[in-house]
Amino acid sequence: MSTIPFQQAKLIELYCLEPVFFASRELSDTYYTEGVIGNYALTYALGLVNSPYRLQGQATGRPTYKEDLQPIARDFYILPASPLDKIAFRFERFNALSDAYWYSMTNNRVATAREDLPLQRQGKKPNSFRPSNFPQTGKLRMIERGNRFQTLVFGNSQLPDYIRLGKFMSKVKVNILNESSVNLLPEGEYQSQHYLNATDLPQQLETLAFDLISIPPAPIIKNLRFRGCAWQIDETIIPADLHFCGRGSSNE
Amino acid sequence: MSIQKLSSVLATTYENFPKGRFITLVVLRTTHSETIFRTEGSGEPMCSEFVQAGLEGENQKTIIQRLVMTKRKQIAPERRYGREHLRAHELLYTNSKDGSLCSLNTNSPCEMCVDCFLYGFAAGGGGAQKSRIWTEDAFSILPASDVVGDRTINAIYENGTMRDEKSNASTALNTSEYIKPGVHFLDVVTLKDVTADELRYVVGNILFTSRYGAVSSRVGRMENQILGVFGSITELPSSLELVQATYDVLGKPLEHPLNSNQLITASQQAIANWRNRRGVSVHLSEAELVNLIADVETHWSEAERDSFLKRLSQSYESFRQVAAEKKKTKSKGKNTPVEVES
Ligand SMILES: [Zn+2]
Repeated sequence: MSTIPFQQAKLIELYCLEPVFFASRELSDTYYTEGVIGNYALTYALGLVNSPYRLQGQATGRPTYKEDLQPIARDFYILPASPLDKIAFRFERFNALSDAYWYSMTNNRVATAREDLPLQRQGKKPNSFRPSNFPQTGKLRMIERGNRFQTLVFGNSQLPDYIRLGKFMSKVKVNILNESSVNLLPEGEYQSQHYLNATDLPQQLETLAFDLISIPPAPIIKNLRFRGCAWQIDETIIPADLHFCGRGSSNE
Repeated sequence: MSIQKLSSVLATTYENFPKGRFITLVVLRTTHSETIFRTEGSGEPMCSEFVQAGLEGENQKTIIQRLVMTKRKQIAPERRYGREHLRAHELLYTNSKDGSLCSLNTNSPCEMCVDCFLYGFAAGGGGAQKSRIWTEDAFSILPASDVVGDRTINAIYENGTMRDEKSNASTALNTSEYIKPGVHFLDVVTLKDVTADELRYVVGNILFTSRYGAVSSRVGRMENQILGVFGSITELPSSLELVQATYDVLGKPLEHPLNSNQLITASQQAIANWRNRRGVSVHLSEAELVNLIADVETHWSEAERDSFLKRLSQSYESFRQVAAEKKKTKSKGKNTPVEVES
């Protein structure tokens, strides 16, 4: 029943030339990056999906993964990238600063309107002292410079030598390690070593056991034991027919 | 006119969707006074990291501790420099939500000004603009141990001594680290889909910004020089790789202070082969680079600055209208440049 849409897969290594930050989790004022790089982020970073410089209206509140990724799903697929060694993190403090000569830290916000200060002291709430709806101070847990990740790329797209990842557009080097053919294995019970995106699993796949890394926009699965057809690329075994938004409901 | 040499990688107008147009600036940043780059508060050591000394031979195996000038430490003062002039020429707009003047990091980006269009903003609700100016952490050539100094700070009482009237000794004795003058950082700055005027604006911000890091009146002086300009359809090597390649070319045991000319020659040798990299279409020659800098200086000159900045600001006009219509903002604060804040 299964055909292989991709003949070849490239094994690539991602080398972090700078610390990489994704807001995977938040604990009070600390923002945690998990030790994994999601495949949607990688697809955008590789330039395979065009995303506008300015986000407006609906696009600001709701990402458009399905609309963006499904059109290329027949030509390209990439797995989430998993760390090669034990992953190293670093913590950094961040502080928003104003370009005004006078400023003050108020409700998680840098206020610059000095004339509002007397009002604020009287318990009134001038607009410029209202709380900010995005963080202006806190701590970041980032993937440390020098970490290496690996993943598989399906399809024939040319890959750039460098990409930018995460909120701070951190520079990451892309090294192609080798290229192998994709082989179809018959229906059976398999164990997959690779990180997988939960929403990209084919609908008919029977999952027996797995570990879950809960990150936005889609949870990552590891150590998956499954029953179904499989693809084999060298030593790697993954469920067959993986493709973007395979489970259908991905936009949350 | 060497800016024309870059026309294949310049945008003719701002566009909302990316195209494969990269301009890479190789920047040499040299401290001209004591400078402080810390990630944490005072008393913490200078920002530094252990990295490979170079890319070849023994240098590849040698690990040294280099000073780091983080990307955020570069971009903030450079943006501020440009914004000072936007403010002075009344080209900052008011934010439509609370009517306040465009301001960095304060929840009130105007979404309309040159800075908002180029360096981006994130705002709750209204929208977001991705930056088209991509910076990188820059590294010192020499190891941190060679270029960091220690200073002991004595807190002196009003009577000018270390003892107060009751003869109690001052306890406020502290040592603090600083980066010595004459320290070189090499850096790669990437501009994505910029127009000729946007290029002039960004290069001006880099060339004319003269203070970085923890700022007081006596520290943080830094001079920026552009050593190379490339046009390409891909990104070029990182700041770290550039520093390592330059370190390899420099060879022999190095000492602070490094001779600037030797360093410039070495880094130019290191970037010379970037010309042959996949996707690179333009590399400005030395003469063309001189022309480009002269062009930028002319546009930023007293005589031309006002018309230059206004022309650049005007170039976003049609994109501002789209934004205003979409949001159906009240006519109140719409598109009105306001007075300079004191
Ligand atoms: Zn603005």
